[in-house]
This record gives sequence, structure tokens and C-alpha cells, in this order.
Amino acid sequence: MATQTQSAMESKSNADVAQKIQKLREAFADAPQMAKTALESKIQDLASHMSEPRSRMESAGRTGSRQGKVSELTLMLTFAPGGARRLRALLQAQNGNFDDADKVGTVHDMRFVFLDNDTKLVFATAYDGNWDPYIDDFATKIPDVMDIAFSAFEGWPGIHSPEVKNWIAKHQVTAEGWFVANPNLTVTETRRLEKIGKAVDELLDKVA
Amino acid sequence: MATQTVTANRSTQDLPPEQKVRAVQEAFADAPDAGKVALKNILKDLKSELASRTGVRTESAGRIGLRNGKVSELTLIAPFAPGGAERLRTVLNMLDGDFRGAEKVGTVHDMRFVFLDNDTKMLFATAYDGDFDPYIDDFGTKIPDYMDVVFTAFEGWPGIRSPQIKDWIAAHMVPAAAWYVASPNLTVADTRRLEKVGKAVDELLDKVA
Repeated sequence: MATQTQSAMESKSNADVAQKIQKLREAFADAPQMAKTALESKIQDLASHMSEPRSRMESAGRTGSRQGKVSELTLMLTFAPGGARRLRALLQAQNGNFDDADKVGTVHDMRFVFLDNDTKLVFATAYDGNWDPYIDDFATKIPDVMDIAFSAFEGWPGIHSPEVKNWIAKHQVTAEGWFVANPNLTVTETRRLEKIGKAVDELLDKVA
Repeated sequence: MATQTVTANRSTQDLPPEQKVRAVQEAFADAPDAGKVALKNILKDLKSELASRTGVRTESAGRIGLRNGKVSELTLIAPFAPGGAERLRTVLNMLDGDFRGAEKVGTVHDMRFVFLDNDTKMLFATAYDGDFDPYIDDFGTKIPDYMDVVFTAFEGWPGIRSPQIKDWIAAHMVPAAAWYVASPNLTVADTRRLEKVGKAVDELLDKVA
């Protein structure tokens, strides 16, 4: 019985895979030849990947994608007058040393990208967990830094405003593809592991 | 653009902390009140942060992009070719975050595909190990077909085997003005090794407990 169910499930999943492959070939019907050739050479790999999936993309809550424990947040923002100049001055003074992000403790990485002649900015970050508690963390732990950086943008209501989450969600564009190499590790876990690694190395040096 | 940004960073990074703070204060003279008040609140922290600057500095990732310790950023914005958005969306939906290709390259920390402006453009943003040139070489050597499947969605993609490939990528990149990495000393491979070490230590401790 169990075996029957299992094989029924397997054949269903094989049918799903075949259907997905079919859909993919259809989508590539009008693709450049280069893309078609590349697709055909990978199609067996893709089929076998699909039948034994790794981690999946999920929702990070209100908005954004998550893989395992790590989520993405991508904001497209319009600068207020003078905002680009202020934000540049701040970022240049900090020069990549964001003690505040360290303080929040759930930020894996974060980038500020100025676009279209300093009229717009992309803010993209990888963080731990879901959207709501992440934004809460920023508001609780580093409210002033948030106001300094984000008052550069049009319509920023202030981190203490009840509208702040709506404002952020409105400017967020959810990634449709999101990959994380180590989806099971939070920032804190990785830092703990780094310490364990050092301790183990020291231990091994001592017994050597 | 990349050179400009990096030069600008270099020129301010060697200034004494008081001057850096003054530059920020001057820039905030015309800021909205929320910004001014907040700056005043953190000024002391900012000064000590700047003075005790011992952490990892942001550097160039080579030809283009920023690097923090061992980890670099690549941010690319490219217009879709006709039909490209639909093809890429089909591929991404099917993969559902299961990027074996990126696993195989082994130097990708994270990677996102964001469709912009009514599916006319895409933002591709990744965090990766090392410098720009060897990273692109890795993609070309290890997963050329995946690259062509994905990137033929964009206007003018010359093909991963083309000698123009790095120029195309660099031309569509916008280097970040600021880049933060929580664990800048760990490559993808380092972290994976540590994950195993951590498990082994836990088992060992269980046994001696």
C-alpha cells in the first residue's frame, strides 16, 4: 500500500516535470537560436533537478521572497531634492563600515545603488526571517539611522510614523528569482560557526 | 562611473573623523527635520564609529563593483529583448529558487532577479566571492548553457562564449555606492565547511556529554 502510494506519487511528479519541461520549450519557441541550443543541452539536468528539489522559494511575509531562513528586500526609491547628495555624503563617511547594521544583527548584506543621474536608488538587502519583524527591528534598534538615510527619499514618513511599513511595502519590488547559497544559516549562526571554526583550529593545533 | 565612486570613497576615507563628520553635517543643512534631528541624535555615535574604524573597508571588486572583505557585489540592470521577460519568468517559475547552476559555480552567496517597469527591464543583484574577472570566467567555464538560457532574455546579449561578454556585463552594471556584508571574511565554501564543522562539534559534544 505504502509502495503503491509512493509510486503513484512518483508518477504524478514525473508527469508534473514533463509538463513543466513542455511549458519551458513552448516559452522558448520564439527565443534566439543560442537560447534554444543552450536550453536543449540543459533540459535533462533541469528535469532531474525538478524531481529532487532542494530548498524552495517562499514568501517572506507581507512582501519579498525567502529561501530557507534568508529573505530578500529590494526597494526602488525616488530621491527628494538634495537627498542624493546627503545620502552620498553619509555613505562616503561610513565607507562600508555599518556598525548599525551589525547592531540589528539580521542583515546578511546590503547595497545602495544610485540610478538615473542620482534621481533614484535601489536598496537591496538579504536578511533573516520575515518582513514584519525585520522592519520592526530597524525601527526599534536604529530609528535615527533609518531617518537619516531614508529622509533622502520622497515621501519618507519617518520611522516612528504608523505609515512607515506601508511606505516601505509600496516601494518594494519582490524578486521573482531568489537564490541563497547557505539558506539554513542566519547571520548569528554564521558568526557563531566562525568562532567554533577558530576554536576547533586552535584545539587541533594544540593536539598536533 | 565605477572609478569615480571608488575614487570618491578613497578620497574621504583618509580624512580625519572630525572632517568626515563636518562633511556630513554640511550635507544635511537642507535636510528635512526628521533627518536633521536624527543626525543630531547619532552624532556622538557616528564620531566614535569613525574614530574607532578598525573594521573591514570597502574596496573595489576589480574592473567594476565593490568588495567588502572577501565578498563582492554585482548589480546589473538590463532591458529585456522582445519576449525575453516571459521566457525568463517561465524559467524562474520552474526553477522555484532551485538554482543548481549557481551551486555549481560555488562562489555565489545570493542572487536575485527583479522585474522592473512593466517587465521592460530587469535588476539582477548578486553577492559573490572574490573579484569581477575570475567570477565571470567561472560562469563562462562552469555553466555556459545556463548563462545563455537566462541572459538571452536581454537586449544585445552577445553569448557567454563571445569575447565581448565581459564588456557587455560591465556596461550594464551599476556599481553600488555602499556595500555591507555581515561576515566579510567567509566565502561560500568557508561557510559550508564551517556548517559541517559545527555539526561535527555538536555530535562530539553529545558523545562526551
